[in-house]
Amino acid sequence: MATLGQLCVLAGLLICAVGTPIAFAAGASRSARGLVWSRRLALAFAGAMLAANLVMEYALITHDFSVSYVAQVGSLATPWHITVVSLWSSLEGSILFWGLVLGGFTAALVLLQRRGHEDYLAYTIGTLLATGLFFSFLIAGPANPFQAISPVPTDGPGPNPLLQNHILMIIHPPMLYLGYVGMSVPFAMAVAALLRGQLGATWLKPLRNWLMVPIGFLTLGIMLGGWWSYEVLGWGGYWAWDPVENASFLPWLTGIAALHSAVVQQRRGTLKAWTVILIMVTFLLTILGTFLTRSGVVNSVHSFTQSPIGPLFLSFLGITLIGVVVLLAMRIDTLVSEPAEDAIVAREGAFLINNLLLVTLTFTVLIGTLFPIIAEAVRGVKVSVGEPYFNRMAVPVFFGLLLMMGIGPALPWGRASREELRRALLRPLPAALAGGVLAAFVFSFDWQILLTGALAGYALWVTLDQGIRPARARARGGESVPRALGSSLTRSPRRTGAYLVHLGVIVTFAAIAASSAFQTASEGTLAPGEELLVGDYRLVFEGAEHERQPHREVEKAVVRVERGGRQLAILEPSLNQYDTQREPIMTPAVRTSLGHDLYLTLGGVGDDGRAGLRAILTPAVVWIWIGVLVMVAGTALCLIEPRTARSRAAATAAEAATP
Amino acid sequence: MNRRVLLVGSLIVVPLLVFLALSFGKDPRAIESPLIDAPAPGFALFDLDGQPVDLAELRGQPVMINFWATWCQPCIVEHPALQAAARRYEGRAHFIGIVYQDDAALIRSFIASRGGWGRTLLDPDGETAIAFGVYGAPETFFIDADGTVVRKVTGAMGIDFVSGIIEGLL
Repeated sequence: MATLGQLCVLAGLLICAVGTPIAFAAGASRSARGLVWSRRLALAFAGAMLAANLVMEYALITHDFSVSYVAQVGSLATPWHITVVSLWSSLEGSILFWGLVLGGFTAALVLLQRRGHEDYLAYTIGTLLATGLFFSFLIAGPANPFQAISPVPTDGPGPNPLLQNHILMIIHPPMLYLGYVGMSVPFAMAVAALLRGQLGATWLKPLRNWLMVPIGFLTLGIMLGGWWSYEVLGWGGYWAWDPVENASFLPWLTGIAALHSAVVQQRRGTLKAWTVILIMVTFLLTILGTFLTRSGVVNSVHSFTQSPIGPLFLSFLGITLIGVVVLLAMRIDTLVSEPAEDAIVAREGAFLINNLLLVTLTFTVLIGTLFPIIAEAVRGVKVSVGEPYFNRMAVPVFFGLLLMMGIGPALPWGRASREELRRALLRPLPAALAGGVLAAFVFSFDWQILLTGALAGYALWVTLDQGIRPARARARGGESVPRALGSSLTRSPRRTGAYLVHLGVIVTFAAIAASSAFQTASEGTLAPGEELLVGDYRLVFEGAEHERQPHREVEKAVVRVERGGRQLAILEPSLNQYDTQREPIMTPAVRTSLGHDLYLTLGGVGDDGRAGLRAILTPAVVWIWIGVLVMVAGTALCLIEPRTARSRAAATAAEAATP
Repeated sequence: MNRRVLLVGSLIVVPLLVFLALSFGKDPRAIESPLIDAPAPGFALFDLDGQPVDLAELRGQPVMINFWATWCQPCIVEHPALQAAARRYEGRAHFIGIVYQDDAALIRSFIASRGGWGRTLLDPDGETAIAFGVYGAPETFFIDADGTVVRKVTGAMGIDFVSGIIEGLL
């Protein structure tokens, strides 16, 4: 098995080594035959990666402990579905999986962009294969999961218990990888645009779509990570500005900025260089993030321990960084913006400010994340940058983003008269007032809450107003309201999707503000029958239960939840002690409602049967997840081809087919 | 060739790579303190009630100094252990918590809901944390009865661990 896996990986490495120069040569000579071969090799690379991953899965499921990775993360006692996903539970496996995702994206690009774009495709494939070259080299050598082990162990330690503790840990990493690795595609497309020396509207459209896909996955991945941390780690929060969290947040910020810049370019033909630079920075940040988490240079709760791939990753990062700077310096001047007929005003201005805010936040978070490394290198001291720094820096930017989300879409494109501007900006003001009053009424008269409420109200009004505008026009034209809504969805899915994303962002922002400002906590050590009060809940500790499962010991507290004398639920927070691990892992019990979450953790059960319980009431948490899901749904909607464009494209194709 | 792009790009890229390369082989968690076997840096701070506390006046008994914050998860984890230790050695050792990069109001509400231990001191400008070379929270220093730092611990501690160290100093 180990040999077969090795062979697949080596095949992938060979294909990339051959394919990279072929594809770049095809790009330089604009050879059609070269492009055909580049496509074939790209598909072959995807096939090799798929085969290697299948071999590993087979080895995992059959408990073939002669394969080093299986011996490292496998265990006979681990349930079947956990065994399947332990593919990405540890360093070597996750890099192998990374190879699969990269192969998948490469194949998808080749298969989906079958027609047109010959000018750019060969360079794009070449860049992707060059990335593949690095990763298959990692899998083949330094992070090889297919080493043969002898003598063959009879059992292994099993995967990281955190993975086994919750379903979210199973889906969070692949989503994040899809987001991270997916950024290679827009990066490769931007490299192609630079090498070609042009970024026209025809290439921009697929570029924008291929940028949106990983952003969607990244959004989902970050959210699932926060949700997982909330549901599993038992500290009652979902975001701690940990380096690893920051590493996933940074490319998200620049990716969003790149997307907005692409929208302006599509509309006005300006900001071309911005778009390209932001896409490249996004890709570089995914590599930097991976490096930071895999090399052990930053102190993080998530980071893998020191591993030999750190220096290699740094070399890859270095080569890519230098390559990007040189390429930009040489070719950026070829991307001339079409002359704008008027000064940057109105909506373009708002987009630009929005991008500046996003880039500022990126820099701030990046500096905070890297500061410990810099301080040690410069002054030889160890420092840490805590949550307060990030919160202090990020909150004003969040306000700015919320403001721009309200102002931007309200403004017209191009030049606008003073009167138009005044009318566009003043109209949503009552919504801002309502939002502020509502926030103050529901929560408190804190100025930050008031401001959040007002800005959210303003942005919400503008978003809804703009989002349903096509439907309203249709309804006014005589269509029935549901029909008008339906046809505006199919005819302008991108517009509707974009405003749906904004809606999700507003909901998420507001929920983050509310949940981080108003937490109530209460705790106590209770004997069976005793109670703990939090908010208007009465929590009665009924007793502790102990259970022995195949791979872990579970200590569980049974708690009856009452409010107003009525029993609402039985919650069972637990402590799980995995056989192969020293520290027990806390599993909170959460009762979610639309208004707030009741979050219960068990600190431990004493010999006398008394349990240490902690209860936290947090408002609006569920709206964070809902908001993000709305964002992801909106992103998906943006990817749909509008009905009219689709039928027009079909008509053109049919026309071309007839002799 | 756009020289401006090249210049700005190099100014960002080169130092970044140098810093990252320099950080290899250094474990961010392994922190040796030059304070071990040296006299503890003196401090005079106010506690949450506004009462002054001077380290020099605590001589004669072992002192545990714990730098913590409400935003730090391991601090929350070790909080019950420190409470238990402070109770167990009441009158025989001093337990001092020093607030690290946090807000006094948050600390107050934290202690109000979970109970405190020993004395909690405010370090508004972080001068004491700097004097002790604190890198992150939680970090704990154990000082013997003569005022000499004997041990530094990074990360959360359990009750048995704390007791083991204190017993050795009594």
